[in-house]
Amino acid sequence: MLIGFGVLITPQVQSVDGKFSRALVSVSQGLIRMCGGHVARDGAILRAPGGFAVEMRDGCNAVNVTILLCAAILAFPASWRMKAAGLLAGIAIIQVVNIIRFITLFYLGQYSTTWFDFAHAYLWESLIMLDTMVVFWYWVTRVLRAGAAPHAEA
Amino acid sequence: MPKLKPQTRFLMRGSALLVGLLSLWWFLLLSPMLYMLKGAAGVFLPIQENASGDWTLRVPLERTLPATPQQPVAQQIHSIDFDMPRGDATAFTFSLPVYWAIILAAPGVRRNLRPLLVGTAVMAAVELAMLLVFAEISARNTAAQLAGGGGDVVAGWARLLGGYLLATVLPYATPFVVALSLHRGLREEIFPWSNVAEAPAPPPPVDRAQRRRAKKRRP
Repeated sequence: MLIGFGVLITPQVQSVDGKFSRALVSVSQGLIRMCGGHVARDGAILRAPGGFAVEMRDGCNAVNVTILLCAAILAFPASWRMKAAGLLAGIAIIQVVNIIRFITLFYLGQYSTTWFDFAHAYLWESLIMLDTMVVFWYWVTRVLRAGAAPHAEA
Repeated sequence: MPKLKPQTRFLMRGSALLVGLLSLWWFLLLSPMLYMLKGAAGVFLPIQENASGDWTLRVPLERTLPATPQQPVAQQIHSIDFDMPRGDATAFTFSLPVYWAIILAAPGVRRNLRPLLVGTAVMAAVELAMLLVFAEISARNTAAQLAGGGGDVVAGWARLLGGYLLATVLPYATPFVVALSLHRGLREEIFPWSNVAEAPAPPPPVDRAQRRRAKKRRP
């Protein structure tokens, strides 16, 4: 986990992190337009026609919870196949939830900045952490069912 | 109605409790919790609250700042003052309602009281410790900037990592770690083999002769 966060804050990885954020914002823009919404994008910033804009910065792209999930899965005694499946599925689920989070924050911010601050900094962050824990729990259950898990007698 | 999986039940209950308890915290508990945090942190560091609600912390730090073209004489400093916006201080109170939500969402209502009480005390201590470490890191960052920004690269990286973890990871992750550590029921649900070591020992095996004798004695 420390290695993951240590690498994340290096300038080289931060530039990749920025590109990843822009890609997520682009996906969010595409989804909003697909559902009939009006939105403009400027790099990692989504702009509403009314003037409200929201930027996906470092920490908003769910990379931090992804690192936590990766650390938990990699540290868990399971086969590499199970770990790879858990990582792929887990990261995909977290990113889907994060895009939902970003889009809801985009609309919430147009309605109320107070609610936006609360949901952005506290509520959604906690919900994503809860999702991450539940994703890990699901994965552990699958590992146990597959018989690839440790048990007390071992 | 089909029975939900324990993970789904936990996710639904946890999400609802997070919305409820974080709203309660945001609208009612935040100010008293900030007041208590300021009081507790004030035992270790002098803290002043401005009219806007922002804090000014004074962190004791002995440093000799080297001479620079602007300041030709080396300077000895004993402490560093820095401002902490109210929003930043708020982050050191929010782990508590998150912890309550996790514990109350965990299976077994009767088993929740003890971890709720013990965990509340643990979380309060952890939040205080996080605030103090954050203040120390911020003071050291300021001292490094005053010294010209150079210095130990590894120490700078460690401060950056510490600040990042304290701002964006630990306040969110700590309640989950503490809940798993203190709530046996939740731990056993996620790691089912963890209860085997704590379970009472099984009765010793009975041999066939003993079983036969016991059968004969029965009417």
